[in-house]
Parts: sequence; structure tokens; C-alpha cells
Amino acid sequence: MGREKVAEEALNLLRSRLCDPSFVFKPLSNSPDSNYSKLKFIISSSVTEACNNSILLLGPRGSGKIAVLELVLKDLLEEYPDMISVIRLSGLLHSDDNCAFKEIARQLCVEHHLLFSKMASFDDNSQFMIAMLRECGLAHKTVVFVLDEFDLFAQGKQRVLYSLLDAMQSVTSQAVVIGVSCRLVCSLLNYKITTECEAVLSWDSDEFNENKLEVLTIDVICRLCFLDADQLLEKRVRSRFSHRKLLFLPPSKGDLQRLLEHILSLPIDSTLPHDYAVEFNAKLQNLSINVSVLIVFMFRSLSNLLLIDHDTRFRAVSYMDLGSGLLSLENFITALSTMERQPKLECIKEYKSIHDAFQTSDYYARNVCFRAFEHLLQRELICFTDNRGHNQSVEFRPVKLLISSHELHQGLKSYRSCPVSCSWKTCYCVHPSMTISSAKGFFFYPYG
Amino acid sequence: MALPSAAADPLNQSTPETTENNLQPFFVLHKASSSKSEKISNGTGRTRRRIDLPPASPKKTDKSEDEKTRERDEHRYHHLRKEAFELVCSKIDSIIKDVLRDVNTSVFNEINRWVCESFNAIKSFRTPGFTEATRSFPIVADATCKKVFTGLVLTRNMEFVDDLLTFEDLGLFLRSHGCHVAKLSSLDFSAKNGIGGCLRGLLRQCLMETVDAADISILASWYREQENHNTPVVVIIEDLERCCGSVLSDFILMLSEWVVKIPVIVLMGVATTLDAPRNLLPSNVLQHLCPSKFTLGSPAERMDAVVEAVLVKECSGFSVSHKVAVFLRNYFVNQDGTLTSFIRALKIACAQHFSMEPLSFILGGLLVEEKQKGEKSGLLPEEILTYTSQLPSYARNQMAELNGKSFVHGFSELKRLHKCWSTAVLCLHEVGKCNKIRLLDLLCEVLDPDLYIARASNNHVALEKDSGVPMAGVHGIRRKYSTSQKGGFICQIVRKVRDLPTVTLKQLLKNWKKISLNFLEINEKVKDLQSMLGFEDGQFKPNVDDISKRHSSWNPLNSEKVSKAISEKAAAFLDWLVREYLRPIECIPLHEIVCFKNVEKLQLALIGDPRRRIQVDLLEFHKILKCSCCSQSGNVLLPSMHDTSIMYTLAQEHGDLINLHDWFQSFKTVVLRPCTKRKHKSKQSPLPKKRKDMHESADKSEASIQLVLGLSTLTIPLSPPCPTSVLLEDP
Amino acid sequence: MGKEESPQVTRRTTRSSSSSTAANNAVEATKACDSHPLTINDLVFGQEPISLDDVLSGFPGRRVQILELVRLLGPANSPMLPLFIYGGASTGKTSIILQIFRHLNRPFVYSSCRMCYSPRILFESILNQLFLHRKNITNGYSSIKRCERPSDFVNFLREALTSVINNLNDNSGTSKTKRAVARTDGNMIYLIFDNLELVRVWDKSSTILPFLFNLHDVLKMPELCLIFVSNSSPDTYYSNMGYMEPIPVHFPDYTEDDLRQLFMRSQTNQKLYSSFLDVVLRPFCRITRRVDELSTAFAALFEKYCEPLGDLEVVPNEQIKRRLFSQLQPHIAASMNEVFKVSSQPSPEGESNKEIKQKGSKRKSGSCEEIDELDFHMSASAKYLLISAFLASRNPATLDASLFDSMGGFDGRKRKRKPSQKSLDHKEAAEQELLMKGPGTFPLERLLAIFQCIASVGEGTIDEEEQGNEGSGVKSGDGGLMSDVLLQLSSLCNANFIIKGGSCPLEGSTRYRSTVSEDMILKTIKTVMWKLLVTWPSTEKILWRKSAKKKIFNAIRRKQEDEVRAEQHYRLRIKRNYNNIEDQMGKIACLQPQHDGGIRPKKKKEGNNGRRHFSELQGRWAR
Repeated sequence: MGREKVAEEALNLLRSRLCDPSFVFKPLSNSPDSNYSKLKFIISSSVTEACNNSILLLGPRGSGKIAVLELVLKDLLEEYPDMISVIRLSGLLHSDDNCAFKEIARQLCVEHHLLFSKMASFDDNSQFMIAMLRECGLAHKTVVFVLDEFDLFAQGKQRVLYSLLDAMQSVTSQAVVIGVSCRLVCSLLNYKITTECEAVLSWDSDEFNENKLEVLTIDVICRLCFLDADQLLEKRVRSRFSHRKLLFLPPSKGDLQRLLEHILSLPIDSTLPHDYAVEFNAKLQNLSINVSVLIVFMFRSLSNLLLIDHDTRFRAVSYMDLGSGLLSLENFITALSTMERQPKLECIKEYKSIHDAFQTSDYYARNVCFRAFEHLLQRELICFTDNRGHNQSVEFRPVKLLISSHELHQGLKSYRSCPVSCSWKTCYCVHPSMTISSAKGFFFYPYG
Repeated sequence: MALPSAAADPLNQSTPETTENNLQPFFVLHKASSSKSEKISNGTGRTRRRIDLPPASPKKTDKSEDEKTRERDEHRYHHLRKEAFELVCSKIDSIIKDVLRDVNTSVFNEINRWVCESFNAIKSFRTPGFTEATRSFPIVADATCKKVFTGLVLTRNMEFVDDLLTFEDLGLFLRSHGCHVAKLSSLDFSAKNGIGGCLRGLLRQCLMETVDAADISILASWYREQENHNTPVVVIIEDLERCCGSVLSDFILMLSEWVVKIPVIVLMGVATTLDAPRNLLPSNVLQHLCPSKFTLGSPAERMDAVVEAVLVKECSGFSVSHKVAVFLRNYFVNQDGTLTSFIRALKIACAQHFSMEPLSFILGGLLVEEKQKGEKSGLLPEEILTYTSQLPSYARNQMAELNGKSFVHGFSELKRLHKCWSTAVLCLHEVGKCNKIRLLDLLCEVLDPDLYIARASNNHVALEKDSGVPMAGVHGIRRKYSTSQKGGFICQIVRKVRDLPTVTLKQLLKNWKKISLNFLEINEKVKDLQSMLGFEDGQFKPNVDDISKRHSSWNPLNSEKVSKAISEKAAAFLDWLVREYLRPIECIPLHEIVCFKNVEKLQLALIGDPRRRIQVDLLEFHKILKCSCCSQSGNVLLPSMHDTSIMYTLAQEHGDLINLHDWFQSFKTVVLRPCTKRKHKSKQSPLPKKRKDMHESADKSEASIQLVLGLSTLTIPLSPPCPTSVLLEDP
Repeated sequence: MGKEESPQVTRRTTRSSSSSTAANNAVEATKACDSHPLTINDLVFGQEPISLDDVLSGFPGRRVQILELVRLLGPANSPMLPLFIYGGASTGKTSIILQIFRHLNRPFVYSSCRMCYSPRILFESILNQLFLHRKNITNGYSSIKRCERPSDFVNFLREALTSVINNLNDNSGTSKTKRAVARTDGNMIYLIFDNLELVRVWDKSSTILPFLFNLHDVLKMPELCLIFVSNSSPDTYYSNMGYMEPIPVHFPDYTEDDLRQLFMRSQTNQKLYSSFLDVVLRPFCRITRRVDELSTAFAALFEKYCEPLGDLEVVPNEQIKRRLFSQLQPHIAASMNEVFKVSSQPSPEGESNKEIKQKGSKRKSGSCEEIDELDFHMSASAKYLLISAFLASRNPATLDASLFDSMGGFDGRKRKRKPSQKSLDHKEAAEQELLMKGPGTFPLERLLAIFQCIASVGEGTIDEEEQGNEGSGVKSGDGGLMSDVLLQLSSLCNANFIIKGGSCPLEGSTRYRSTVSEDMILKTIKTVMWKLLVTWPSTEKILWRKSAKKKIFNAIRRKQEDEVRAEQHYRLRIKRNYNNIEDQMGKIACLQPQHDGGIRPKKKKEGNNGRRHFSELQGRWAR
């Protein structure tokens, strides 16, 4: 019916909004002291004063570095038409200098409507780049190099960075090198995620605790950022690199709420029928408060708060039932409940179900035990301590347990588990590295 | 290596040293190595040991006046022998091939049937359309449709050398029955190349063209392009054990995802046991296999077949003596029990026989003669007779005066006796089969001349005079005789016959009849044995059930008695066979012509150790390169010697461990003797004596160069410890 | 993974009648299989779409996941974030996502990381599908673009995607006017990466995985959506560089009644099968819940179950059930315990009795007499080598000296007579330890030394069987044994009986390790056991754990049923065994008088030269 179609349309709108980060981060950009304005100032200065510049954007994943950068670039391109040409490199793709210069040359060609020869050698490309830089410098055109995954460029011999920066210094060019990295922040992130289960379990939900955690996280991030790129860069590169950094932090709760409304509220003036939009937004208003609270409450690990919260919104929207066409709190709750996953625990259920077999029936054939053992391997609950000895028969290779006993017990609690299995599984955890045969010995042991 | 028999050979004393004689060993070696090479093409590398040992290198060291005519004759005989050798060898080859094929046919048919069945099974799951089959995503299907039909071919031999040929044949066989066949070996499944390696191999064999990015979807599209895409694709993996487990499991998983689109059927050669795949592959791979096993004939059976065809049955006149047979048996049992090595040994024996035995070309004559009954292949009677007169066996039994006729007669006699013998052996083996006695063992026994003599002496048949052994051995013989009566295979067989059930006895008699078809007297006896069992050739079947009826109707002990009597008769018959006909080849005059006896040489050729040989060669190298300068000087080191040998002898003098510096010093002192000698050795720039000192350095460098060269060659023959330790201590 | 089929089973019959272009394509392609040029329609599933209910009914116990997926994929033309579907093997991930796409009838590109085992092949297969390129004989089975680097891949992919999306757009524009069944819905294009966990295996320079996870950010195309399907949970993927983590969807393992529904689904005789499941499902669920394993096991069992029944349409009543169950009972445990079942090919009786004859004639005299137990041929020297390798890797090297001279053997036997309890359980502990660590490694020379000792005895057994030729035969025999040992060793290594361990750091020589199982070695030893046991009674004491001892004694008991009583005490049994064995030897001997009573002195001699061999060989082989 009509309602359905309208709802679907709204849904599409919301989804497309959620999916492009530049829209998501627009509201964060308008405040004067925001990264947006800083970045814009730097670049525009190098455009106007015709000087070289280099800057490093640091921040955890999803904190909108690239998004803000894109915003800035878009606006600048509007301000100074055909005075800026942007070269985008990603450390994932172009960390190897050969294809880095190839890519640079290609994009330069595309920018300036030249035709690009695949056959060009490394030297040709670098020569071409320097020539182009000089030309642009003379023509007062700014070349902006965006190096995503900056840390990957910083690995190895850093020839790309060096020759790039060197070229900038040697010829009278005006170029901006913008490194974007989340190095070490993301390693922290891993840490957070892996300890997520404990986090959820151990921490109770008082604001103080949460704030303390937030503070902690933030200054950890700051410290990391300070010791980040300096340690990464070689001396010759570092000497040529201006140590300007922009730090992107995950948004605070207020920001979150603002974001929420900004993203989810339907535009009043649009194809959507007016009353529907109004009703929707009204519903959203009284939702958003406790939704954001809910989100923050559910997820202690703030470092990846934004990511998860992002997904959450996405899911919630996708759960929006087309019948009412309205977002309800239930949508969010279901979304969140689906969001919190404890994969290990799920594995452990299987794990246990396998091993019930063992200690209840001591007479199972050894190949069945091996099959169960291989299941464990597939689920990566255990792994071989050494990957060298594949010629050796699987029977005698030492294995180690990949999950903490804590997780194990959690899994067993969440599963209706018999005490016996708990007991011997704990002892399995006590000896984390043992051969499968000895593990079998454990199975065949009388309980306890 | 000194050859006692060759030295004893009358021919050799009288042969001059001609180029032919020098060439001959190499010719033989070449001959053998040609057979070796074709074995290598079968994949065995086992024959490398023979390269440095010429199987027959008759150093005919004999001072002799040379006459043109003798030389010419030599030449002719040599050629005759060569031809004869080629004839016999090719004959043996072809026979062995036929035998092996016959051994495998039944299994091959079985496999082929299974392939067809499983192919139909796959098609019954689902036959995807073209677009469907060439899609990248799997056809969502039942778990049972993801099973790869796998035939585990048990080649019951740990060595897989023999089976390479078998799988070759199998591939041809299946291809001839209209399957796409791809033959992968363990090299394709190496961990280094990974899954890409085996896929590439598979594609190369199917598409007949090499693709750079091997991808199984290519195979799918190829298979769909085929006009006849209703033929199975058979992948033969020769040796499962040698494959890298992870790669193989990846391969199988990949196949299992695609098996609905490409009906691939896998044949794996399992050398050891059925546990091999279980140990090699993880369970999640195993459950994708739908295995069924096939069993090839065990090497023992094949061996029996080959022995029967080549040695027992009169295929090519060539035969071996008892000792050689025993040696071959041990070689087969103790060494890698491969048919290949056995056949190789046989061929070497053959080659050596023809290279040594002057009269052996008559064999070739015989082969020809079997084709067209004619004159004795134009051999010159008088020389032959002279040779023959020196043959020990011939000389021993004082036959009538030597003339061509008696010789020919003796020879045909030889052939006849041998035929009788082979018939008897086959009859014995018929019984032995139900007693699981291997023909090879039996052969060892029935070829034993001493046993024969013992039997003969027991039967008061005076055969000692034309038997090879003097009476002195008889005492020892007695002992063996008793053992042979108790433990020997023959008497086991005779005992066995006594307690054979009637039905098997019937079958046995039939087989005997078949065997002894062209021997009247044996055939007669078999016939009346059969008639005693109460049936004629015509109606065998009715007699069976009437026999059984009789059994059912008659009171048991009567039939019991009858069968007992009959089996007694059969045993008696066997006894008679043994007595009359079981005459080993060595007890027949003129057997030297057809029978190879020299076991030492064979052993040397097969399992002599090359290292010692090389060291010997190094010590007395002048035997090899026949330079006049240093042959006469005994063991004093001359600079004119070969560098390597000088260094080797020096190393010998120094003992086990030698300091490189000392070595070099002594080497230099040897090499840089006063240059009058050095002129002989090094043609380059003969230096006047007085200016030698100023050229010391040059000499030094030269010497060091020589030393290095020598070392580089020397590290190979010497046993590892010495040169390595030497090279480590380089100052 | 995929197994749930039934909707198509029913549907495939109707498909031929229904006039869907893709189906027609398929059909006529089967008739005249010439590759028609691929169109954009070939990016959809290909068969006519099915309703959501069909999907749901097709996958019992997966309702939640299916609905969630459908929601997440959203209505047509709605952009989305990357998905990450994970769950244990054979929980229906792949088949469900495929069925959902069949239902949605949207274009997608599927690529399994098992099939694409290298970055290049992965990239090229994706590009081929996007460029609607098909490898065939005309283009020499080459893919459309050659790209190995991620950087090239991104450029190509962008190019391809734009072309496809434009194609889709006008396609959908036309399809506004007339909707054919197989027209693609929407202008989204989905990339499905299956078996993602394998990437970690073949991607050595772990760059591909982060690249794939970041692909969505790298090329910012709202029309593109990535779907990852993996066995293992997302947090096993974290590399040292993070990424915008995709939305996870978890497929839990089937519960028992899920499984029941699953198996009930495609059955003709529901009643019968349910009664069958009543019997088997519960015990099997204790072992595994993987549908593929269960289904393979059940297929065989159900046949057995149905054997007594005449027609499969019968509706079983109680007593029939009871009867069936009673006669199924024995098979259950067996099939539970076996993972890999090899069925021998049934052959026409002509070959079958030939088979029998082969089996019979395998039992030969000569040194390979137990071939029927060992059921493949191994040359004598290989056997000895194998045994010695087993000894070398199961026993500590310190024991060798005492083990391989006869004296040590004898007092070893005496000690066995009165073992103290402490020593016993000490030995128990040692065995436990040994069991934990598995077979040890040993250097080559130790192996050869032991081999020499064993072979020196074994030669005796060989030359016993060959009558009356001590002379050349035996000499050639052991000469052969020595000369070919290394070849034998290599072939043993090839047969995975002995494996080359890593070279030990102290001396550079490579060390070996025997992985041959115990009963295997028992079979091997039986061919030469008598000699060994008589000469070194301590051999078996140290050689085998108690279980293995039991095995071998049972073997002996089978040989002489009358002499060894089952209930005899263990030590007694050993003693008795020596008697038996010596009787055995006596029998052999009285067959051959020249060996009569020659056992004792022979044993001494061999023992001695065994020891001599051992000491000197150690010297000789030590480098």
C-alpha cells in the first residue's frame, strides 16, 4: 500500500545516508575548532601561499578521517576550481613503490587529460611525476597526495615517501602530502575487541566507570599518536616531514546523540509525504535519548564504539518494520542483541557437544576422536603450537588452546553443561599445550 | 675384475687382442644400458649402480699371435652372438610384457566397470546445463552429490617401480574405453607447487595445452565444450603415500565441489595398506571420498608368472643354473622385491652369458630354427666342434667321436630333456599352487643338480658320470637329500597330492593333461589316471555330479578308499615324473651353451659396491688408460701419472685424515719432478732444466691448479669423511 | 556445506515447463552446448526465482538467519555495508545465501577462495564474471585481464563495475516497462567471497585479507556490496591493521531437532524414516552435528535399516520398529566409530573366485610368509629396517647396548620374573610419558647399527627356508642386505613409515622417526618374530606396551591354541611362550636336521656378533 512504499523509500534514504561516511560526519565538521576546519585551513593555506605541506591524520577506524578529508577536498575544489588536483594512494595497494609511482602517474594523467602508458618504467614514472610537480608548481596548481594507510607506506624502505617528499623539496612545487593512519590505535582496538567478553561481563554500568574508561582510552590514543609516526619514519623521511598531526577521537555521547538525530531524521522537505516525516522524526526524538544511552550502556569498549554503534543503527534501520514504517525502540534493542556476539562461546558449545561424546563413552574409536579433534582445529579453538612438523603424524603434535579458561567457563555456563565436562575441561585449560593423544588420555580418564 | 670362467675359457686363451674384443664389453654394456634406459623411462632410477660396472669386461689378457682368419672368425662369431643376443633379449622382453598384461587384465576390466557405474551414478544425481556448469558458484545440491568416487588400487608392493608401468597400461586401457584420462604423480602434489601444481598438470593433460593460471573452472568449460561430454574424467594418482597430504586434500575438496559439473573419478595407487589415505587425509576430506578398493596381483604372483614364462617354459633357449636361480630368488626376496630389478638381473645374466659364452650364438640359431626348420644357421662345423670338445660337460661324458651329427643330436637331446623338465616342473607347480608354493622356490629346488644326483643315486641310476659334480660331494648330498625328502618342496607337493580332495584332484588332472599335451608318455599316464577317476575328456560335468551322486549314495569309506587309491596313484605318478624327467639343465651335456652359471659376475654386476671399484681403478689406473709410461713402474709415484690417482695414493699414504697443506706439498714434490719427466706428462712448454727454479712459482700455481682439479674429481669417489675434513682444514 | 536441496528438487521438474529465459538458456545449452555470449542476466542465479517461503521451508532451523539476511540485504537499490556470514562447516551458509539471491533475483558474483587458490586467480575470476567473459577454446582458456596486484585489480574492478552498473541501470529502466522473470532486480551488484578462512592459508604475505576487508572503503561505490562467508568467527581475522568491521551474521550449529527436520525433509516414507531417526539420531549427535558427516553415515545405515522390509512404503507399527531396531543395533556402534569406510568392489563370480584364489595363493612360504597378514609386499631387508626403526624410535638409545646382546636379554628375562611394584608403576609412568611425546627421533647410524644386529639374526630365518644352499645364496643375501639398505630406507620414507625429522642442532645429520603404527609393526614382526623373541627376550619387554604385548600373545595363542591357556598369568605366559617358540623352532629344526638343537648356540653366536656388530658399527657409522 502507499504506506509501505513510503516506508521503503525512507528506508532506502536512511540506508544510503548510513552508507556514505561523508554524510555521517557533516555535522561534526561545522564547529570552528573541529578537525575539519583545521585541515581545511592547512590545505587552503598551501594553496594560497603556494607552499609545500605535509600533515598526518591519526585516529581510530571509523572516526571519520577520510570522510572529513573528503569533505574538505570537496569544498576546496569548489572554492578553487582547477587549482587543485588530488592523487589518492592507499597503503594497501601501493605500498610497493613501483606500482605507487605507476598509480601516481596514472592519476596525474587522468587529472591532466594526458594519456598514460602502462609500459612506462619505474624511472619514467618518477621522472614524469617530478616533471608534473614542477609544472604544477609553475602553474600554481596544488597537488594533494592522500596517502591512506600511511603506516603501510612507512613499512620497509619507505622509498615512496622519501622520493615523494624529496621531490617536493627539490623542485619548486606546491604539494600537500596528507597521511592517514590508524596505526597502533587499531592494535588497541583489537585488544579491546578480544577482551570484549570480559568487558561485558565484568563491568557494571555506572557512568563514572564509563567516563573513567573514556578518559583512559582517549589519552592512550593521544600518547600512541604522539609516538606513532615519528617512530615509524626513517630519519631521512622524518627530516622532510612536518610533524603536524590531526587527532581524530571517537565522538562523545553528545556527539553520538547529535549524529543519531542527524542521520536518522527524515528531511521534511522531500519526496516523502510531510506528515509521515514529521511523525517519524517526532518518534525519533523521544527515542534517541535512551537509544544512545542504551548503546553506550551495552558497549563498554569505547574505542570501537562508533563502529558498532554505526552497525547498530544500520541494523536497526534495516529492522524497521515496513508495516508501521516507524523506528521503534524494539528495533534498536533487537539490533543490539544481535550485535553482541560471542563467537568463541558459540564455538565452545560445539566443542563441548563433541567432548560430551568423549567422556561419556570411553570406547569411541580413535579416528572419531581425531575427527572431533579436527573439528576443533577448524573452529580454531586449538591450534598446533608449531606449523613446521606437518610431516609428523597429527597424533603427536602439541596443540595449544586458543581460548581463555574464562571464555570456556562462560561458554559452558551459557550452555547447559554437565559438571564433569567442566571439571576436565578446566584441567584441559590448565595444561594448555598437550598432544592430542594425551588429551585422549584425559578423555578416557575416569571423571574428575 | 678377473674372470675365472672367462680365463678358463679355451676361446679366450686363443683370442688375439683386437679392437672388437675391446669394444665388446662396451657393446654389451651399451646393450644392457639401453634396456636400462627404457626402464628409466618407466621411472626407475634403480639401475644407476650398474653404470660404473661393465657387466662383462673380459680383460682378455693373453699373449697371442694374430692370424687374419681367426680374427675374421672372431668378428663373425661376435656378430652372430650380437644378433643372437638381440633376438633372445627382445623375445624375453616381449614375453614378459605379455605376461604382465595378462596378469592385470582382469583387474583392469573390473576397474573399467566400476568407472562406468560411478559415472552413471554421478549423472543420475544431476546433469547441469552448460551455463549452469560453467558458473562459478556451486550447484546447491545434496551432500551425497559431493562425493568423489575414488578407486583405491592396492599395488601390494612397497616399491612402486613395477606399478608405474601398470598405471601406464591402466591409463591406456581406460582411454581406449573412452574416458578422459589424466595421470598425476606425487611430483604434482608436492608442497612446493601447492594445489596449483596438480591443477596445472591436470589441465595440461586434459586440454593438451598449458594455461598460465591453472583454474578448475577452465576444466569445467573444457569439459562442457567437448562434443561428447558424457564420458568420465579419470584422474590417476600413481602413488598416494608420496603425495603431500595438504595439497591432496585441497585437491579433493575442490573436486568434490565440482564433481557434479565435471564427473571426475579418481584412481589412487596405494602401495601399503588402506590406512594410508586415512593417515594422509583429514576426516573432512575423507568423508568426501566414496572409496572402493581394487587389488592388483601381488609381486610374488607376477613373479611366478614371469618365471614360468621365461625360465620354466622353453621360450628362448636361454636358461640359468641352480646357483644363479638361488641368487635371483634371494635378490628378489631380500632386495627391493620388485619385478623390475628381477628382470634387470635376468637381462644382465643374459647379456653376460652372450658376452662370455662363445657358442651362445647357437641360441639365436635355435630361435631362428624354430621359425624355419633349416640347416644350423650356417655355423662352421669344425670350429664349433673344437669348442664343443672343450666344453666340460661334453668332455666328461665320452660321447662318440666328434662330428657335426652327434653334436646336433646331442643338442636336440638337450632341448628335449629340457622340455621334459619344464613339463614336470609345471605339473609339480600345479599341485604346489594349492599348497601356496611359489614357483620361484620350487625352481630353486628343481634346478639343484646335487638333489638330482642324490635322487638318482637313490634310484641306483648311475648318472654320476655325466653329472657335473664329483662323487666326493655325495656325502654332503646325502644330508641334503634327506632334507629334501622331508623339508623340500617336491616332497611337500607329493605329500600334498596324497590328501587332495577328489574334486580338486579332477581339476588338477585336467590341468596336467593340458600341460603335458605334447608329451605322449606323460599324457598317457595322466589319461589313465583320469579314466581311473572315471571320466573322459568329453563329459566332465556329468561325471562331476555323478561322482558326487556316488559320494552321496555310496557309503563314505568306500568312496574314501577310492579317492585314497587315486591320490596314491597320483602321488606315484608325481614320483615317477620327478624320477624320470626332473633332470636339471646342469646335468645335461652341452648345457653350457644355453645355461648361464657364473653367479659371481652377476652378483658383482648387480650389488657390487661402486666405491671400492672406483678406488681400485684409481690405484691401478694404468690398466684403464693403457699408457706405456707408468704401467711398468709398480707403485712408485710418477709425475706422469694421472693427477687424481696421484692424489688418491698420497691420501692413502697419509691415512684417514690429511692436512691439505701437507697434501699439496707432497703432491707438488711428485708433480714437479725434474722436468724431463714432466715433458711426458704436460705437453705445454717443455722448460729447460736450468731455468726451472725461476719458474718455480709458475709450477707452483700450475700444481695448485692441478691439485684443485684433482680434488674436484676426487671428492666424488672417496668416502665423505676424508675429503670434507680435508677441505675444512684449508690453511 | 550446501546440502538443503529439496525446493529445487521439486522445482526442477517444473522448470522445464516454465518458460524462464535462463532456464531455457540452460536447457538449450545442454542440447547444443555452444557457448552463447554471456549477458547481464547470467549474473543472477539463473533459475527462476523462488518465493521466500520456499527458502524458509528449504532450510528448517534457519528461519532467523534467513530473515535477518533478507532484512540486511534490504529492498532493491538500497546500499549496504559489508556482510560477514560465519558459522561452522556445513551449517548451510553458502546454500542459504545462494538461495536468497535466487529469491531476490539480483546480480551477484560468487568466488570461492577454495577454488581461487591464489590472489591472481581470485581477481581474474571476479573480473571474468564482471566482464561477462567466458574462458573457452577460442580464447585459449585465458582470462580477460591479467592482473596479479591488488592495485591493478582495483582499477579493473572499478572499470568493470561501472560498466556493469550502467548496464544494470538501463536494464532496470527497460524492465520498468516489461518485467521478464529472469531480469535482474535492482542495480546493486554483490560480490560473495566464500571460504574466506582459506585466504589466510594461501595468502602468505598477509595483504589480501585486509585488502578485501577494506575493499568497500577503497572504491567508494554505493552500488557495490561485499558478502564474506567464512568458517571461522570474525575475531580470528584481526590482523595488525584494523578495518571497518563488517556486519556479522552467525549461523549456529543445528540443534538435534533441527537435524531431525532436516533429515525428514526429503524423505518419501516419512513414518519409516522418523522411526529410523528415533533410533540413530541421538547417539550420533553425541559425536558430531555436521550434517554432511551425519548424512553419509545415515545413508548407509538406513539401507541396513530397510533391508528386512519388502516395500519401503510400509508404515511401520511398533513391533516392526522393534524388529528393525533389534537388527540395526549392532551396526550403529560400528558406523559411529568408523570415519572412512572402504567398500570392496563386488565383482562377478568369475573374478571373485579368482580373487579368492589370489588371496589363497598370497600365503606363501619363504620369508614373506605372512603376506596375508601384512597384505603388501615388503622385502626382507625393508622389514628388518622397519623393525629396527620402530625399536630405535620407541626405545631410549641407552637401552640399545643391553637390548642387543643376548646376555642382557637373559637377565632381563630373569628380572621380569620378580618385578617390584614400584618398578612396575615407574614403568607405567614411563610408558605414559612415551605415549605423550610419541616416537622419538634417531640418527641414521643408530638405525643402521640396530638394523645390522637384527638382520644378522634374520639372515638365519631366511636361509632356513631355502633348502640346501648356505653357500652362495646366503652370502649374496646379506651382502645384498647391506648394499641396498639406503635405498630401502628411502623407499620406507616414501611410504611414510619413516619420516625425516628435522636435523638435530648438535650434529648436522638428519634424524629419522618412525611413524608406523603398533599393529602394523606387529604384523611385520610376526614374519620374523620367532627369531627375534628367542634371541632377545628382552626385546618385546621393552618393545611393546602391555596392550601390544597382549596382542602379540594372542597372535601366538592363535598359533598354538592347545598350548597357551587364555587364563594363564602374564609372566607364566611369557615363559610358556618361550617354550612354544622353541618347540616351534624345534619343529622347524626337525624338519631340517642340520639345524637340530642349533638354536641355543646359534643364539649365543648371533647375540655375540650382534653385540660386536653394535659396538663396531656405532664406530663405523659415526662420522
